[in-house]
Amino acid sequence: MAVAATHVGGGIADHVHPEPQGFIRRYVFSIDHKIIGIQYLITGFIFLVLAGLLAEVIRTQLMNANGGFVSNNTYNEVYSVHGSAMVWLVVIPLMTGAFGNFVMPLQLGARDVAFPWLNMISFWMFPVAGLMLFSSFLMGAPVAGWTEYPPMSLQGEAGTSMWCAAIFLVGISSTLTGMNFMVTILKMRAPGMTLTRMPLFVWAQLATAPLSMVATTALAGALAALFMERQFGVPFFDPTKGGSPLLWQHMFWFYSHPAVYIMILPAFGMISEILPTFARKPIFGYKMIAFSSVTIALAGFMVWAHHMFTSGLAPFMQLPFMLLTFVIAVPTGVKIFSWITTLWGGKIHFTSAMLFAIGFVVLFALGGITGIFLASVPTDLHLHGTYFVVAHFHYVLVGGSLMGIFAGFYYWFPKMSGRMMNETLGKWHFWLFVAGFNGTFLPMHWLGFEGMPRRVAVYDPQFQFWNRVESVSSYVMTFAILLFFVNILVSLRRGKKAGPNPWKARTLEWQIPSPPHYYNFKHVPTVYGLPYDFSEPLPYRGLEDELTDAPAPVPAGAH
Amino acid sequence: MAVASLPHQHAEHAEGGVDRFYEETRDLRLTGFLFFLFSDVVLFSAFIFAYLYLRNSGQSWPPPGIARLDVAFAAWNSVVLFGSGATMHYALENWKHGNFNKYAGLLIATIVLGIAFLGGQAYEYTHLYFVDKISWAGSGIFGASFFTLTGMHGFHVAVGVVYLTVLLLQSIHGVYTKDKYFGLTAGTLYWHFVDIIWVVLFSIFYLI
Repeated sequence: MAVAATHVGGGIADHVHPEPQGFIRRYVFSIDHKIIGIQYLITGFIFLVLAGLLAEVIRTQLMNANGGFVSNNTYNEVYSVHGSAMVWLVVIPLMTGAFGNFVMPLQLGARDVAFPWLNMISFWMFPVAGLMLFSSFLMGAPVAGWTEYPPMSLQGEAGTSMWCAAIFLVGISSTLTGMNFMVTILKMRAPGMTLTRMPLFVWAQLATAPLSMVATTALAGALAALFMERQFGVPFFDPTKGGSPLLWQHMFWFYSHPAVYIMILPAFGMISEILPTFARKPIFGYKMIAFSSVTIALAGFMVWAHHMFTSGLAPFMQLPFMLLTFVIAVPTGVKIFSWITTLWGGKIHFTSAMLFAIGFVVLFALGGITGIFLASVPTDLHLHGTYFVVAHFHYVLVGGSLMGIFAGFYYWFPKMSGRMMNETLGKWHFWLFVAGFNGTFLPMHWLGFEGMPRRVAVYDPQFQFWNRVESVSSYVMTFAILLFFVNILVSLRRGKKAGPNPWKARTLEWQIPSPPHYYNFKHVPTVYGLPYDFSEPLPYRGLEDELTDAPAPVPAGAH
Repeated sequence: MAVASLPHQHAEHAEGGVDRFYEETRDLRLTGFLFFLFSDVVLFSAFIFAYLYLRNSGQSWPPPGIARLDVAFAAWNSVVLFGSGATMHYALENWKHGNFNKYAGLLIATIVLGIAFLGGQAYEYTHLYFVDKISWAGSGIFGASFFTLTGMHGFHVAVGVVYLTVLLLQSIHGVYTKDKYFGLTAGTLYWHFVDIIWVVLFSIFYLI
């Protein structure tokens, strides 16, 4: 293609401030997208540990058919906060806030996001919201699950109102991040980087950002209404006052179905970066992968009522929601086949990142297939509210999103820290995690088919054997995650120096030092093509000084 | 942060009379501001959906025992708000043409009309509360949806009045120039947005 716009001086790309020197400005209230990304990462991992401990409380309770580890009410609190925390404090912030912030501007050839200050404000809402959510245990945590359906959520203790406020706050953070990323991707690409030359991770963020922006705002409305009803008695959902509990389900799922794509699309992007790098082959079907992300994002707004087939939805409403949900399997299938074709005939390097990426493809496909079971009305009538549903969404959220986060972390850790992760520990982490994961969630499929209900603290003794298998396997999974954190701490101190490009990857972030300088690039590069053609020279110009000692030239307008 | 408060000399960037830094940041801010307004539209839409859903789940509207709204009064109040949209539009046009006095007069007129609209809404609320005995929490889904939505809108108008007052003071103090006036553009967009939301709310509460 013809050379696109070349760099013209005097614009934002030449507008640089000196790097702040104090600890507070540099690492606490930083406006540098890379530091903010790492802040999100650390905070998200802390919440992963807390919510993971809650998961172990659940599994320990379920060791015995008659429970006994915690009280039944505490059990309800624990699974409600576990789900809420994993969705809003772990997966969404890690996918967008952490990896989106750190990687996306680098891949765009930008010096930062469009609104660095807004980015800092978004981040700081997130730990505050997390503390609010966990503080709800002190005042009677929510007990109606992460979905908080009325009328039960109207009867919950004060902690349910705190839950509303916490999720509202983390939602604002996510909305602002979405806006920031939209403007960044649409307006701040390096010269020559047309939309169809963007790395696929950026495409995934571009498909995710409007979901964060639109769906999360709709959720804010639902949360505000629930809060008003609980605190001031304003009737929206209470049927005795003319309200409708179904209204909450509509408002909640209008957000929460797109939210599952917020949680998975960035992982699709990560996988699309990792597979070609370690198969040493161009990604198969670049445009199809990019556009299928956008299709999934759009179609995701039209399927929310498939969560409500047993809620009394009219049959003529059920059919279109069922069919539209089936339709989403098509672009998802396009991605799976593109990834398999990328691996086909490749020279595959089984690094830890690659193992997690391949594990992602397999486990996510399994979770996607059970999603089709649940989207079909007749099967859903049988399976709704059973452990089959729990199995389904843990396959997509743990086998999918969390595996994606691990894959992305192993892949970008050298860029973030300048050091390599320990591969032996990484492989132990992978195999133990996959074994523990399948041991925990695979039996839930048949337990659900046999009718074991979710969200109940005690269960029929006939299910006890498989529940014990699940609980023991979940400890293996937790141990694997412990190995992961040990690996991080060890590698930060003793890891081998990574150098700028340990994976010989071709996107822009790997062409600059690890960790990158304050303003990322000495000169803003010009882009001439896609980053995935492994046999060709790199499609960038203007990067010659990046790995030398040449000082960054002071642009005309710098101060 | 201290770094960001260093004196900015954007004129240094000027090449051939065009300040590219200003042009590019204005582009970013405009896009970001439009996205902000769009997500605000979604927030209103969530409650509008809730209102229409609840309204259609009952047999009659207004629900039994609830007096009808005073359409004529609300219509006059709407004229006040739409009039302020017109004055805001011409205020910005006059700024672009350098007529500072006309601009200031029209902006003050906008602010006054905005306050008048809020006064009308306050009158309507007190009338509903004391005469028709309709309240936010005590009148079922009618009170919940009507006061929540019009209250949200009123809050946006109140924020707008403060916003426009700040813009007026800023322009008196020379923050904006004939070529660089993004703040005024954003204020105008916000004010038109508040107008458009009111068109929808007026239609769904008073007309249907």
